[in-house]
Amino acid sequence: MHNLAPEKLVTIITTDVLEERLISLVKKCGVSGYTIQRARGGGSSGIQSGMLDIDTNITFHVILPSERLSDLLDGMQELIKRRYNLTVYVADVSVLRADKFSVPLA
Amino acid sequence: MMSIYLLMAIGLHGGFELGKAELGLAFNAVLWAIILGFTLPMLGYVLLLFTGKVDRMNAAAIAAHYGSVSAGTFLTAIAYLDNLGVEYESYPLIMLAVMESPAIIVGLLLASWSRQKIAKASSGGQVVIDTDDRSFKEKVFPLLHEALTNGSVVILIGSMTIGAISSHKAMEKLFPFIDEIFMGVLCLFLFEMGMEAGRRIKEFKKVGAVLAIFGLTMPLFGGAAGIIVGHWILDLSVGGVTLVAVLGASASYIAVPPAMRLAIPEANPSFYLTLALGITFPFNVVVGIPLYYYVATIVSA
Repeated sequence: MHNLAPEKLVTIITTDVLEERLISLVKKCGVSGYTIQRARGGGSSGIQSGMLDIDTNITFHVILPSERLSDLLDGMQELIKRRYNLTVYVADVSVLRADKFSVPLA
Repeated sequence: MMSIYLLMAIGLHGGFELGKAELGLAFNAVLWAIILGFTLPMLGYVLLLFTGKVDRMNAAAIAAHYGSVSAGTFLTAIAYLDNLGVEYESYPLIMLAVMESPAIIVGLLLASWSRQKIAKASSGGQVVIDTDDRSFKEKVFPLLHEALTNGSVVILIGSMTIGAISSHKAMEKLFPFIDEIFMGVLCLFLFEMGMEAGRRIKEFKKVGAVLAIFGLTMPLFGGAAGIIVGHWILDLSVGGVTLVAVLGASASYIAVPPAMRLAIPEANPSFYLTLALGITFPFNVVVGIPLYYYVATIVSA
């Protein structure tokens, strides 16, 4: 029998230049970690080919308990209000080692 | 990778030549580079608003590109002069390093100011409470820090310093790397940039005629400003004047676009990137450089 606990996975797809901003935002929300992947694609900001600094995207993943979700989404709303183009989606996931996700990043 | 190599190679060469430079003239060159860096984007901003077809945020973002410089265009100009056997001083290289950042700062300030104006206008003239509760310092300083410590500036200044303190023997050991293959790498770099520019030209239609015309005429203003500074103020040789003209005429398409993406999210990257990379860069390389050289020879005669 495995001990799976429910958590929330927040994924943000946005431009690479926002990486630092996002990292400081999630740290403030007390998350335990984050994962970033380089991405390319197309959408309302045009085609992001990944060839130059300007048109490289990232997918930014964070897993956190549902109590902290609201703070994080508030931060996202702030960024969106400032006209940054973010794609944000939230999914329910079940994780092993639930205690790992309640220890905030240093 | 290639731009790191190119900047390093040109920096080492330039730094090495710096040994023969006069401190007074070098200081003057840096001062005027900063002046150009601050005034060209203001000129661009005013011109764009004057057309009536561009909003303030896009105008600020686009103007920042034209006040900054394109190392790629500068290196192409150096190759052009080398080909003709024309000599040039190393002062324009120091100016290149210095001119990367001031325009970003001007773009930021113009955008900040414009935001206030827009917010005031939409709230009917009442004082707007800015919900972004970071202080002005907190907002601007990280962007400033980013602008002044950006990769290309650090590489350029760093390699110029190393070149300046190196002995001739030490430099000679590097020549096969920084001299003999330089042109080849420059060709590869331009080829890659050309492909990117080619991709952007298709977006030409999105940009519209007014902006496209700006992309072709602003470099002429910048080039003229460069010629004035290079010839009448700094009294450089024909080669030096040409290079300063190129600095004034070029628009950054590597360092400034991401800075603007972060600092001015209200602006449309398609506009400023297409302009800088798809229109101004090819224009400068094909028409601009020979044109500025021609004018430089005329004024120097």
